[in-house]
Amino acid sequence: MKWYIVKRVLWTFVVMWIALTLTFGLLVASPDTGQTKSVMSCSASGGDAQQCREQYRERQNLDKPITERYVNYVTNMATLNWGWSESRSQSVMAAISEAWPYTAQYAIPVLVVSTILGYGLGLYSAYKPYTKADYLGSFVGFFGISIPNFWFALVLIILLGTHFEFISTYYQSGIPINQGWASMANITQLLIPSFVLLTASLAWQMRYSRAQAIEQMNQEFVKVAKAKGASQWRLMIHHVFRMAAVPLTTSFVSSLLAIFWSGSVIIEQIFSIPGLGLMTFTAITEQDTTLVLATTMITVFLAIIGNLIEDVSYTILDPRIDYGDR
Amino acid sequence: MAAEDADTATFEDIDWDAQGISTLGVSRAGLAELLSYLGLIAAFVYDYTWNTGPLVFRWDVLSVEWLFIGTLIAIVFHAVIPLSQKPRLRAFYWQRFKKNQVAVVALGWLAVMFVVGVLGPLLIDPPTTQFTNQSVPPVGMSTTVGGVVKTGTWQYPLGTSAKGQGILTLVVYGMRVSMEVGLIATIFSVIIGSAVGAVAAFATSVGRGRIDELLMRYVDVQSVFPDFMLLLLLTYLFGSELWMIILLFGFFSWEGIARTVRGEALQRASEEYITAAEASGANMLYIVRQHLIPNSANSIIISATVGIPGFILGEASLAFLGFSDPTTYSWGRTIATGQVNLASAWWIATIPGVFLFLTVLSFYYVGESLRDAMDPRQEVDGGGGL
Repeated sequence: MKWYIVKRVLWTFVVMWIALTLTFGLLVASPDTGQTKSVMSCSASGGDAQQCREQYRERQNLDKPITERYVNYVTNMATLNWGWSESRSQSVMAAISEAWPYTAQYAIPVLVVSTILGYGLGLYSAYKPYTKADYLGSFVGFFGISIPNFWFALVLIILLGTHFEFISTYYQSGIPINQGWASMANITQLLIPSFVLLTASLAWQMRYSRAQAIEQMNQEFVKVAKAKGASQWRLMIHHVFRMAAVPLTTSFVSSLLAIFWSGSVIIEQIFSIPGLGLMTFTAITEQDTTLVLATTMITVFLAIIGNLIEDVSYTILDPRIDYGDR
Repeated sequence: MAAEDADTATFEDIDWDAQGISTLGVSRAGLAELLSYLGLIAAFVYDYTWNTGPLVFRWDVLSVEWLFIGTLIAIVFHAVIPLSQKPRLRAFYWQRFKKNQVAVVALGWLAVMFVVGVLGPLLIDPPTTQFTNQSVPPVGMSTTVGGVVKTGTWQYPLGTSAKGQGILTLVVYGMRVSMEVGLIATIFSVIIGSAVGAVAAFATSVGRGRIDELLMRYVDVQSVFPDFMLLLLLTYLFGSELWMIILLFGFFSWEGIARTVRGEALQRASEEYITAAEASGANMLYIVRQHLIPNSANSIIISATVGIPGFILGEASLAFLGFSDPTTYSWGRTIATGQVNLASAWWIATIPGVFLFLTVLSFYYVGESLRDAMDPRQEVDGGGGL
């Protein structure tokens, strides 16, 4: 088991390296939109176009040979030196550290609540399948995964924003700084964004855990436990939940991350919350390649680390796994 | 061809055409399909090299529409024709499918969306910008926009946008975009995913585990990239034409299907008939194409149906953020234009969203009911869903 974990951690580094190489390849293969834009704005302010281009290329290290750029790129990414953001005139790391609290303040509570509620409801539906409660649960699940979150946010703004004055329909970023992150004013203005994100992730986890639990409930070991006289409660918690808790496929973390990341881009754009999502959005519209890549790499790294944690906890929770073959 | 009536029940319908033992042997239906693709490619080449005006009547076929026609041909030859030739199979699945009444309604909605989406843009003129009819509310309602009282008329049953485009027309054109995105991207992900999954499984079963390891490790790496972020990155780097977005969707989201097919095909690959086929000299391509993929068809169909709504939602989200093709009338883009005048003209952002929501919901319900109908592991009394 120790060897399995060591191998798994080493594999994580390999995946990170592959991911970095792939993004570098994409970067080389694509036309550099940032360059055109930077050169245009530079020459508009009175500079010589040729000189501007050279300055930009030097700043972004484009004048070096490709092997050197590749080595530089990988070492810089690995040492967390993620470059200079043209549009924000600050280092990418500074931009990220400014933005992340705005995202974390609603994303982490939503993640915790949706995981607890989603797994609870999912297990309950699996425990009593094809009853009224299960049908209601499956409807809520379908509703949550089907409703486009950008549209849902707009509908909520129309319905609530016009009738309830205290719910603000856009985010005032001064409030957490002046009144504190946990102030009432900050919490009420996060209600609609959190609710929108919650419906999507709750529904997804509910459906997922229900499917996992139903799959596990048909397994031999559940029948054996039942035959030995285990109570329903013990059966669900000890046998079914233990297996369903760490989902079967390795796509769970990245899927959840995708919901959160795409959700945060959309929600922060609608409510103008200055977090990582809005940063991604403006980086793309401002054609700031360095920042776009950085935000992509954050999600990739989070997904890789999430997968690692998932696989390792899998080996702890599932006693049947044979470590010999992987 | 085996086309008996259902009354004279037989034990087994054997399609003798398909029994020819050759890797490259093509049945009559296969030949017709191949000819259809060749005809399509010929028309495409003709349209792009010599033809300057609209190709058919007034319809100038655009890049995505070529892909869409190809997808429709594939659907006809791999879903419509096989189903019409097997009335007993069709009746069996339909009987199980219709247990879920919501799914039947959902299927009806999708059929309407499909027909209107395909035919509608051919019959209705594209929405035009008209400054005389800005922000007219839906029929029977009246609002005050900029000090002027406006009442909805039957000319624009669902009202107009801030540019004076009829919402109904925008919705009909959006149906086409959504159907194109969902179906084309799914066809591509199904082709790649099932090929990779089946090859990986077969490689393991014949003791070439290294191919399996290599393929599935790549699947792991690709699934690490969150789809939506990857798509944002790729549309940023390479531009955002609709056909490109659709192909990116297709090429970067087949991991799920590959995993499912691999799991399914691993079970199949250890069966006697595979050993028999191998013993009689069939090669890898033949076994994968003739035995492994057809026998995993049920799980492929199920995961494909569940994949479609994801693509539709993804494209709509991209369009809402403004990163989609600006020349297409995507629902997401219409909703985004309504975001600006949410308070004065609520109908612009909400009405296309209702269609988007119901379409996505219908796909999920149909997928769920198909799973209940086709997956033998789901034998539970009462059927699933609502």
